[in-house]
Amino acid sequence: METSDFSQPVRQSAKGIIIIFGFNTFKFFKKFFVLFLALGLSLMKKKTFANLSPTIIILIIVSILIVLLVFAILKYLNFRFYVSRDDFHLSTGIFNKDNTIIPKSKIQNVYVKQNFLQQLINVVSLNIETAGDNKSEIEISALDKSTALLLKKELFNKNQVSTDSDSTLIDEQNTVFFKVSPKRLLLEGVSQNHLKSFAIIASFVFGLYYEFKDYVKDLKIRERIEGVIQLDEATLFGIFLTNLFIVVLAILFSLVFSVIKTFITNFNLQVVENQKTIEINKGLFNKVSLSLTPSRIQNIVIKTNRLKQYFGLHTMSVKQAMVNAKQKKNFVIIALEKTQVNHLIDKLLDNYTSHLEAYKPAYYYKRILAFDMLITAVIANGIAHVIFGSNVWWINLILAPLAILYVYYGFKKAYYKINDEFVTIGGGVIDTTVNILEIHKIQAVKLKQTIFQKRRQITSVIISTASKSVKIPYIKESEAKSIYDFLLYKVESQDKDWM
Amino acid sequence: MSFTNSQIFNDALPKLEDVKLKSISKRYLKIIILNKLAMCAAFSGVLIAGKLFIEREAFQDNFWFIFSIVMTFCFVNFVIAILAFKKRKYAVRDHDVIYASGLIVNSITTVPISRIQHIEESRSWLARQFNLATLNLYTAGESGSDLSIKGLPHEEAKQINDYISVRINGNQ
Repeated sequence: METSDFSQPVRQSAKGIIIIFGFNTFKFFKKFFVLFLALGLSLMKKKTFANLSPTIIILIIVSILIVLLVFAILKYLNFRFYVSRDDFHLSTGIFNKDNTIIPKSKIQNVYVKQNFLQQLINVVSLNIETAGDNKSEIEISALDKSTALLLKKELFNKNQVSTDSDSTLIDEQNTVFFKVSPKRLLLEGVSQNHLKSFAIIASFVFGLYYEFKDYVKDLKIRERIEGVIQLDEATLFGIFLTNLFIVVLAILFSLVFSVIKTFITNFNLQVVENQKTIEINKGLFNKVSLSLTPSRIQNIVIKTNRLKQYFGLHTMSVKQAMVNAKQKKNFVIIALEKTQVNHLIDKLLDNYTSHLEAYKPAYYYKRILAFDMLITAVIANGIAHVIFGSNVWWINLILAPLAILYVYYGFKKAYYKINDEFVTIGGGVIDTTVNILEIHKIQAVKLKQTIFQKRRQITSVIISTASKSVKIPYIKESEAKSIYDFLLYKVESQDKDWM
Repeated sequence: MSFTNSQIFNDALPKLEDVKLKSISKRYLKIIILNKLAMCAAFSGVLIAGKLFIEREAFQDNFWFIFSIVMTFCFVNFVIAILAFKKRKYAVRDHDVIYASGLIVNSITTVPISRIQHIEESRSWLARQFNLATLNLYTAGESGSDLSIKGLPHEEAKQINDYISVRINGNQ
């Protein structure tokens, strides 16, 4: 169904039935996943479940599917939308009829998404976001790509005309600025923080284990593992070897997981440069297409680490105001070269410059970092003591140099720069992060000082924008106060809007 | 245009130190005391109930030990809360609202009036008995940049509320 006229109420593409059906079925089965698993297991064991024969169970499932299908069709039939001069109208609902009207001027964001099922039958979904909570989002789940793009343009049309008339220019200059190569994606995956992946895997495994404790116990894994380990338990070297083996396995798993995750979320990552905005396209199973509008950007965070720097990989996350939590993590562009990062920053932030004098936190910051490490060490020792007994004092031999490195790099990487329009804050320990925000987008400024810092005249400045709070850590009180005065003066004396 | 010291230490800038922060109403101290006492009472109530109903020896033997820990905690909490009361201060300037609080971790937050999305005056039952009010200032930011000034005299809260409301609506 190709439509280009949205002035009359239209339905989405008929393929929408499949999408709605597929989605509802998935949701249904996900909800009763545990039940189905139990059912399957008891079927395997006893050939029956709650005195029902397999045929009846199949019949029940089929009838559930039919009900879901009927609902999908009804939902499809009752889903109509059209665009009037100033508003977007949507009517939905089978029993409860809902009529939604969104003024075009209130639309914050329109983006195109395509999940796996939608890719199969070649439709896209169009999400319309308004300012406010998550519930205010509207999703049209099945449109032809061309229709979706047309509708998107239509929705933005009014906005553009009212501000200025360069909507034609926007059509003309769409240059693909950046396209990620598989090699860079691989490098990005390899150089990621594997601890994070490991934590995800571990929590997943533990979650599964907890859910299916009883079944796992039946499998007698413990006995089997003990059987394997017993072979070389005799020697201390054997224990060392098994531990090493487990560690290597964990690292390998995390690595593979990181790489796969990177590939799935960032497959075919593309940055398209328009006249005013920047568009990000990416994803393997879930294709998303998002646009960044400079006026709505609140913070920009650039991240890299030692290894990534070596490969020339930088990650840029853009924090926008009024974006729902689910989409937030998608405004990330990975595997950028340094020059590309600079280009994007130039594009998104007018006359930004990083050639400024960098100020350092006070030496007190080192003390805080060292204190952090001390607490970590104490906790680590405690845990080790409980798990492995009292002869693990040697972990301190590893911890101590790590702690020193932590303090050293933590302090070395911390700095801040301020000019008339921007605040730039650098930090990180393993990662190197740079936080950039525009002064006129500040929502609140806060000075924070503990009773211990008061004696030493140390204060932290916390700067909040609509999407994030950043901290200039532990600087001299007089410095902090003048920054505070300066930022407030800038915000209050200019009559610039924050969005 | 680079950031220089002379610029930032510009004497012409309005200074935080020049602002005369005002303490919140003394009556709010009573509310704090009442709250803390209620908390202590609740804790000790639970413990005493435990003493009466839990038969486990480990608990019974160590009851006074646990009880004294809880009481010490309550007492310290109480003292800190009272001392911290003096630190709760606020000021409304031409262009912003300032609120300072905290004894152990002292913070001073300023929200420019032009960034306030909406303002709310709320009064709990207890606050009404003391003729006090709480002012909540909401910005567009994450919860971190919202401001809540507790223990304002009702009259004053109303005045500030009116003043800021007019300013917010005037800007739009």
